[in-house]
Amino acid sequence: MTIDPKYFELIQADIDGQINDAEKTKLENFLADSEEGRAVYEELETLCRSLDGMPSIEPPPHLRHVLLNEAPVKTAPRPTPGLLQRLFSGPALGYAGMFVAGVALTLALVDSDQISRGAFDEVTGLVGTIADSQFVVPEHGTISVDESEVAGTVTLRSAGPILIVDFDLSARQPVEIVAEYSDKTIWFNGFAQLESSGTSIAAETGAIKLNMDGKRRYAVYLNNPGMRPATIDLQFMADDRVIHEAQLSFSEAD
Amino acid sequence: MSEPDDTRLMERCSNGDRQAFETLLARYEKPVFNAAYRMLNSPDDARDVTQTVFLKVFEHLDQYDPKYRFFSWIYRITLNESINWLKKTNRLDALEGDTADTASGPEQEASNQQLSEGMQAALMTISPDYRAVVILKHLLGCSYQEISEVLEIPEKTVKSRLYTARQLLQETLTERGLH
Repeated sequence: MTIDPKYFELIQADIDGQINDAEKTKLENFLADSEEGRAVYEELETLCRSLDGMPSIEPPPHLRHVLLNEAPVKTAPRPTPGLLQRLFSGPALGYAGMFVAGVALTLALVDSDQISRGAFDEVTGLVGTIADSQFVVPEHGTISVDESEVAGTVTLRSAGPILIVDFDLSARQPVEIVAEYSDKTIWFNGFAQLESSGTSIAAETGAIKLNMDGKRRYAVYLNNPGMRPATIDLQFMADDRVIHEAQLSFSEAD
Repeated sequence: MSEPDDTRLMERCSNGDRQAFETLLARYEKPVFNAAYRMLNSPDDARDVTQTVFLKVFEHLDQYDPKYRFFSWIYRITLNESINWLKKTNRLDALEGDTADTASGPEQEASNQQLSEGMQAALMTISPDYRAVVILKHLLGCSYQEISEVLEIPEKTVKSRLYTARQLLQETLTERGLH
């Protein structure tokens, strides 16, 4: 190349739309006399057009909900809280509060022979595990759902004989989720909701059915008395058709 | 770029206004995700970096200086986090012939799609510093002065990095028969 480097700079500035009138005139005079300069100009212009034409990628549909859920937006100072507010200010306690509401809802909705009421005391202590990372329980797997009707994640955790299925989903329309467990000795043990309500649940032998719409975070507690390996088959349905299927597994080795 | 609006939104965020947060998120989620995607060549990594970026922004609301433009702050965090991610995953060096996401598509695939994939592959062959200026210029539409503000380097350096980056991209695309 025999082109003076200052002309490369002018060519680039022109293509980038950052050239002044004097420079533009100088460049035009140069290009009029230089075939090589015109070739360089054309090559760079083509490259820049290709770069400008790179398509924009859509972020995953559930990303915004995840960010909204996780961002620690500071709250404006409030007047001195009352006793009840102070009692329920911690995340685990807050979640526990929601759990109690969830249990009440569950009791109202599920088949009573699936519930051991005495077991609720046992699971209440686990409630904070989802909301507060200082309570560590083994995680056995997460599946991602990225459909136009529903998106998010479902995570399987355990604590002793309790399997915790943590749903963090956002649905654009009513969605039904069926979770079938392979081992029929597993029984439904409880249900908790965080930052949302309005999810309904029905339990039957070997399966639970959930109905939800909108942004929802909730957990289903299953009791696996033998702590045996188990799989949970998840089927997501909208408009009476299956839109997504996935499986979560628990093994003793986990 | 509507910096006065962004500044007002940031002020409202600092006062705990969730609606303002949602508006900022709606405005910057896509450019941040796309910049991270072009830096990392992986949608999953881009998603994780996007999460980190917004968490950092909102954790450090009180450190934001309104005399600087918000976009330059969030884009700087995005590029820095992307480079940190590359370091963490030992992918900081330019990847010779990285074709992970760029294998020739089906024959019927449109040529512009191939060019776009080829361009992404070529981007991965240049160093993150060069990649960053290309992304700021061509993906985020920043001027030389804005790139200089985001990367905190002189405008002259922006121009020379941009020029070298384009030369390198040109060579790679020509070698691969895409240009």
